[in-house]
Amino acid sequence: MQHVANLSASRAEPAPAAVAVEGVSHVYDGREGKVPALEDISMTVGAGRFVVIVGPSGCGKTSLLMMMAGLRRQTEGAILCAGRPILDPDPDRVGVVFQEASLFPWLTALDNIEFPLALRRAPREERRRRATEMLNLVGLQGFGARYPHELSGGMKQRVSIARGLVQDPPVLLMDEPFAALDEQTRMTMGHELLRIWSQTGKTVVFITHSLTEAVYLADEVLVMSARPGRIIDRILITLPRPRTYEMMATDVFGRLRDRIWQQIRKAA
Amino acid sequence: MTRLQIVLVRLALLVLMLGAWELLPRNGVVNPRLLPPLGDVLVMLADILGRPAVQEAILVTAAEVIVAFIIAVPVGAAVGVLIAENDYLGEIFKPLLFYVFSIPKSIFLPMFILIMGIGFQQKVAYAAFSTVFVVIMSATAAVESVRADHVLVARSYGATQMQVLTRVYVPSMMPFLLETLRISMIFNFTGVMIAEMYASRTGIGHLIANWGENFQMPQLFAGVILLAAVAIAFNETVRFLEARCSTWRT
Repeated sequence: MQHVANLSASRAEPAPAAVAVEGVSHVYDGREGKVPALEDISMTVGAGRFVVIVGPSGCGKTSLLMMMAGLRRQTEGAILCAGRPILDPDPDRVGVVFQEASLFPWLTALDNIEFPLALRRAPREERRRRATEMLNLVGLQGFGARYPHELSGGMKQRVSIARGLVQDPPVLLMDEPFAALDEQTRMTMGHELLRIWSQTGKTVVFITHSLTEAVYLADEVLVMSARPGRIIDRILITLPRPRTYEMMATDVFGRLRDRIWQQIRKAA
Repeated sequence: MTRLQIVLVRLALLVLMLGAWELLPRNGVVNPRLLPPLGDVLVMLADILGRPAVQEAILVTAAEVIVAFIIAVPVGAAVGVLIAENDYLGEIFKPLLFYVFSIPKSIFLPMFILIMGIGFQQKVAYAAFSTVFVVIMSATAAVESVRADHVLVARSYGATQMQVLTRVYVPSMMPFLLETLRISMIFNFTGVMIAEMYASRTGIGHLIANWGENFQMPQLFAGVILLAAVAIAFNETVRFLEARCSTWRT
């Protein structure tokens, strides 16, 4: 019954996608003239979905993410977030987690998490409270006073995720956040991210090079071609949730990973 | 070696050197007319500090150092930031500045004297000139030390230009800026001293040059101790601040 009710509700007024990319192309001026980087990319990410983008190096996936974050402007097409175009960075709608954590080394873990709130001059008490909540959410209770150089790689990325979530944006963009971590830490962090994701109900767009990571995390995987980047396949990951490490050994997991790999090989 | 041991060895070396300075001339191993014993020099230091002419010279030198510093540091910092931030200006001026930086500034001193005479302005102008290039170089390096991904993070959280400046640039550059202050003071002080010793009517540098020429060794060494103490005190103060501002640097 509930299912039917939802259907009719969405027919009456379709909820806008959390992120909608509509015909985005990008050309940049390189040393040897104009270089097409992205070609007619369209995709939608439903609210609460976990979408992973994979593709060969230099295919423009980071550029695409930067455009979703409002940090770079595409030459053509539109990117909408909750139905409204993204033209500039809007921390209320989109949080970003970068490669290499990118924490400010002169701030403690807690101050790093507070940073986005400090920018908008939120009251000190509220900042502390929110940041401490986030610190606990990412499992770093008691590490708030540490400086980044006193934290391990995995802990730094936890801080970075907490910073991305501190303003409670509905969408979290993640650009290869675990690429610099060792294999074991990376697995743990993937698992932790899924826990945080299911606890907060965020929409996640996640870029990675790791096929295992892609299948393990995603609701759907988008495969991009080499430059100019296009979306050449969309693979739904039907594995049940919560995901477990054991699933990685199953045939289904292997087949999904293999399909992505075949697509990337064709794409490169 | 423990921290304590290191400090003790340093102290021992210092005592050894000062002891040698005191004893060797007294026993005639070293000619006391060339190197007066430390005790005599310290007595002389107390004596000359009481003389109005020396006090006036100290004030003149201090004023020259301070004014030259106040001119050279902001100007150098502004130029340095400009050529680091603006690619066009950087392309044009960086090589030129590097060329001038490599030239010993003292060879320009006669020109300063010809144009400005041997007064206060000439000392300040020459010292500022000999300092400004090192400030430019350091400021450029400081700006270039700001990491692009930190700026990107701040922008992604909606930082305004002003906030990027105050919350990313300034803290990133702080350790470099203090180091710049320290090094530029060394250049600045040297500039004033050279100008005073070369041609001047007053100032500590002038007095030291005179004492040297007149073979007044106790006065000469007293002057050296005085200047060394001031220079080391400034340097160590800034180094202390530097260490406090850069605990996060690994």
